[in-house]
Amino acid sequence: MDFQQHGYRATKPRARASPPSGGPLLFDDTSSGPPPMNRGQDPGVGNLFADPMASAAMMYGSSLANQGKDIVNKEINRFMSVNKLKYFFAVDTRYVMKKLLLLMFPYTHQDWEVRYHRDTPLTPRHDVNAPDLYIPTMAFITYILLAGMALGIQKRFSPEVLGLCASTALVWIIIEVLVMLLSLYLLTVHTDLSTFDLVAYSGYKYVGMILTVLCGLLFGSDGYFAALAWSSCALMFFIVRSLKMKILSSFSADSMGVGTSAKPHFRLYITFALAAFQPIIIYWLTAHLVR
Amino acid sequence: MLSVRICLSPKYDDKSFIASDRQYEYSQPMGYSAPPGMMQPQQPYMGQIYQPTPAFTPVSPQSMYGSSFEDEPPLLEELGINFDHIWQKTLTVLHPLKAADGSIMNETDLAGPMVFCLAFGATLLLTGKIQFGYVYGISAIGCLGMYCLLNLMSMTGVSFGCVASVLGYCLLPMITLSSFGVLFSLQGMLGMILTATIIGWCSFSASKIFISALAMDGQQLLVAYPCALLYGVFALISVF
Repeated sequence: MDFQQHGYRATKPRARASPPSGGPLLFDDTSSGPPPMNRGQDPGVGNLFADPMASAAMMYGSSLANQGKDIVNKEINRFMSVNKLKYFFAVDTRYVMKKLLLLMFPYTHQDWEVRYHRDTPLTPRHDVNAPDLYIPTMAFITYILLAGMALGIQKRFSPEVLGLCASTALVWIIIEVLVMLLSLYLLTVHTDLSTFDLVAYSGYKYVGMILTVLCGLLFGSDGYFAALAWSSCALMFFIVRSLKMKILSSFSADSMGVGTSAKPHFRLYITFALAAFQPIIIYWLTAHLVR
Repeated sequence: MLSVRICLSPKYDDKSFIASDRQYEYSQPMGYSAPPGMMQPQQPYMGQIYQPTPAFTPVSPQSMYGSSFEDEPPLLEELGINFDHIWQKTLTVLHPLKAADGSIMNETDLAGPMVFCLAFGATLLLTGKIQFGYVYGISAIGCLGMYCLLNLMSMTGVSFGCVASVLGYCLLPMITLSSFGVLFSLQGMLGMILTATIIGWCSFSASKIFISALAMDGQQLLVAYPCALLYGVFALISVF
């Protein structure tokens, strides 16, 4: 497709004093090698600023900005690989619909195995069992906005409360992921669950939370508790079935050793503890919104 | 945006992916391998800012300084405000059901969105809410969030200016909502229906433009949802 080649990428975010084509090239900025398509930027700058020093200063400023951007990207890439993260966002509408249905009604789903393709897991587009990060992120943001709206309806809204709600929810996710990582590490359970996987699985509860809050707002206290029970059961079932494949059937470090018989029990405990944690945290984070 | 692609390009250029336990092969018809126009790895900054190139078009130094009146380009062209394009983009927003042309987002034009933001703030001012700060803050955060999301979701990256420009243009229907809010209160049932319609309209046209510009297939609703959240916050400001 043509526009991919000379589409928006042909324009760097540039000042509004952008040029028409043509005009003399005043100078050559050797700091960041711009692609040939961007050459059109320089003449306009020269035409607008008759003073070469001002245009030189502008090019210097933009090269500084580019350097800053590079540094930021380098630091980000040190902590997390954008490539790995892109895997979790490779979703499409069909997958999201199926996954949401699965989160709310997982009882009829038969095959919970994550499919692989030559040693790498399939992207969420092709496998409904694969975890993704789009749904948890959107659910988290929707939950925050819904909390704001619920508080606004009850005339208890203020921006500080919204910030408090958001940070509380975020901290609970972090705590849960850290505890899971720690327990998996301490029990030397070797799974292929990466940090992002755990974030994804712990973010799925926000879908249940949104449903609970909505029912609580629409149908009052009875609706709230009914929805809480329903989403807790569904979520517990979902977590246990999804993680059973990953944790319980994984190769443990010293399976040859003495403690072989104890290991499966611990792994079962971890899975069930995680599942049991979900209703508690759902109640904790939503009860104050529907009082 | 460009430098992000520099960081990613070594991985994508290799035919054999780096062996890590969570690599994935993203088999799509348009592959990652060497998108055209990929830049070379950056050279260190040589400290040469002002350096006339030999490829100087033969123009006498005087005309650079705009001495001859007829040689100057027209002012609007120089400022880069192309009314025809602005009008085209506005029409694209106003006709949500018409298919969008992917090439209209070629120029990142922030003049239109600025005008629309100011107009939105002005109509809010007419109802007595002095909330320019909220409008700008939310649009900044929303643009940043959409920029991160679209970069992660699409095969090709997107520049921040493009995201800001699209989101700003699609704010236009929201201005009609807030101008209705001047005339009558939006907190009734009619107001709710109108708000929902306008939010749907804004997010639908924003997602339509993003989809056509970034060639994302099967993801229109997924892009429309975060846009709807963003415009929902704007609507919240105008209604309450």
